[in-house]
Order: sequence, then structure tokens, then C-alpha cells
Amino acid sequence: MTTQILQKVDHSALKTNQIIIISLNVLAFILNLPILAALVALVMGIGSALKIPGFGFVYKNLLKPRGWMKPDVLDDNPEPHRFAQFLGFLFMTAGSISLFLGATVLGWSLVWLVVALAALNAFGGFCVGCAVYYWLVRFNLPGFTKNPPAGTFPGMKPGMGASG
Amino acid sequence: MNSEVLLRFGLAIVIIGLGTFAYWFINQRLLVRASHNIFTLFKKLPNKPVLVYFTTPDCAPCKTVQRPAIDRVSNLLGENLEIVEIDATQRPDLAKVWCVMSVPTTFVLDAHGEARYVNNGVARAEKLLEQIQTL
Repeated sequence: MTTQILQKVDHSALKTNQIIIISLNVLAFILNLPILAALVALVMGIGSALKIPGFGFVYKNLLKPRGWMKPDVLDDNPEPHRFAQFLGFLFMTAGSISLFLGATVLGWSLVWLVVALAALNAFGGFCVGCAVYYWLVRFNLPGFTKNPPAGTFPGMKPGMGASG
Repeated sequence: MNSEVLLRFGLAIVIIGLGTFAYWFINQRLLVRASHNIFTLFKKLPNKPVLVYFTTPDCAPCKTVQRPAIDRVSNLLGENLEIVEIDATQRPDLAKVWCVMSVPTTFVLDAHGEARYVNNGVARAEKLLEQIQTL
């Protein structure tokens, strides 16, 4: 096993992002607002472009300064999380386009798929997009270079979860 | 609130409920599997709660956080708790049958050998004590 340099990744910012994505998507479904789903897709896309969690600004500017959410900083690779968000963005974009084209079952199914995967990550500690990233590393694809932190199953949250 | 919104709200609740049930069900299956695997650790049940702790030598949080937490629990409960530490690199067979995907992972089993809690990732001493006290 080769040694790799890990970075500090605040999983609270990621969790906030996931919970907001879940909440807004469920709200979009209940109120039948495809535009809200499209807005979520847009924010996720901007987040992917800027290499930050799309809704991380809520954590950074509101939840963290007021102490409503404590930092959960772990040694981890940020790249798989960015990739996971990008995958979510693609699904959300496809879902939103489907909704606007009238394919409501397909559109809402894609939105719910994103909700399910975000929930699995937020509450179960398993990031499917990250697992896909680590799986793609095996194929030596350009840009996919990071291995899971030592002792961590690909996609699972690194173990230092409950410090502080 | 019109009927369509209510209907969609109900549908959302059903979908979330099904997802939650699926997650709970998978966790229960893991615990049942762990209960069945108690005899991979003991020939005879120790008749007291058991803490099964999976670790690896290169797991930093195991050394810095999980080990001290387990030491604290051990000091507080003494002989009333059986602690089994497993190095997953030495015993990959056990890690596989217990479905351990990351370290540290801790299982809390009651005196009858039934797995009641599983903690993926670091579990603080307070959390472990709370779980053991509910057995």
C-alpha cells in the first residue's frame, strides 16, 4: 500500500450540503416545483465548478459561526466528494430536463435517486459517488488518482467521526 | 393546501418511510449476522456484555481516539464487560464474516451474545457506555 497525502476535509460542510439537497428536492417534489429541482442542480453545478460543496455556504456563514454545527474535520481526499457532487449534478440536471420536457416519472425518479444517495451519505456514512471514484481509479483513468484513506472501505467515511 | 400537494406529501412520506425501513432492515441484518458470528470468537458465551473492536495497525484514529475510549470504558466497567480486539489485517476472515468495511468498527453484544449496536467509525466512551447500559 502506497502512502498518500491526505487533506483536511470538513465532513460537517458535506453533511450540510447533503441535508439541504435532500430537503429542497423533497420540497420540490411535494410542491411539484421542477424549477426548485433545477435550482438545486444549478447550485451543485456551481459547487462542482468551484470545487466546494454547493450549499456549503450555509454551513460556513450560518451554522458554523453560530455553533449550530460543529466541524468534523477528517484526513480524507476531497476529490471523490467533488466527483460525487458532480455525479449528483448530472443526475439532477437530467432529472430537471426530464421534468421540463414532461417526463415526470423519469424526472422525479432521478431526483429521488439523488435524495436516496445523499441520505445514504448523510446518515449512513457511505458515499456512493466516492465509491465510484475509487472504482474508476482501478482503470487508471486520467484525473482519478486517489486511493481510500488507510483502513477505510472505498466510499465509507474515514473513522475519525466522533471527535470533539 | 390543495389535495395534490397533500397527495405528493403522502407519497414523499411513503418513499422516505420505505427508504428508512430498508436502511433499518439492512442494519438489523448486520446485527443478526453479528449475533450468529459470536461463536467465531467464543466457544462458550462469557455471560456478560461483549465489546468487539475491529482495528488495524495503521489506523490512526484507532490509536488516538478509539483505544483511549475503550480503555476508559474498560476501567469503568472492569470485569462486567468482555472486550475482544481484532486486528482486521491479521484476521481478514473475521472482518469478512462480521461485514466490517472500515476501522474502527465496534459491536456491542448483550450477555446472550445478541449484537445490539454497531458503530462504524469512532465511538466515544460516552456513546459506548450508553449503549452498554441499555442492554
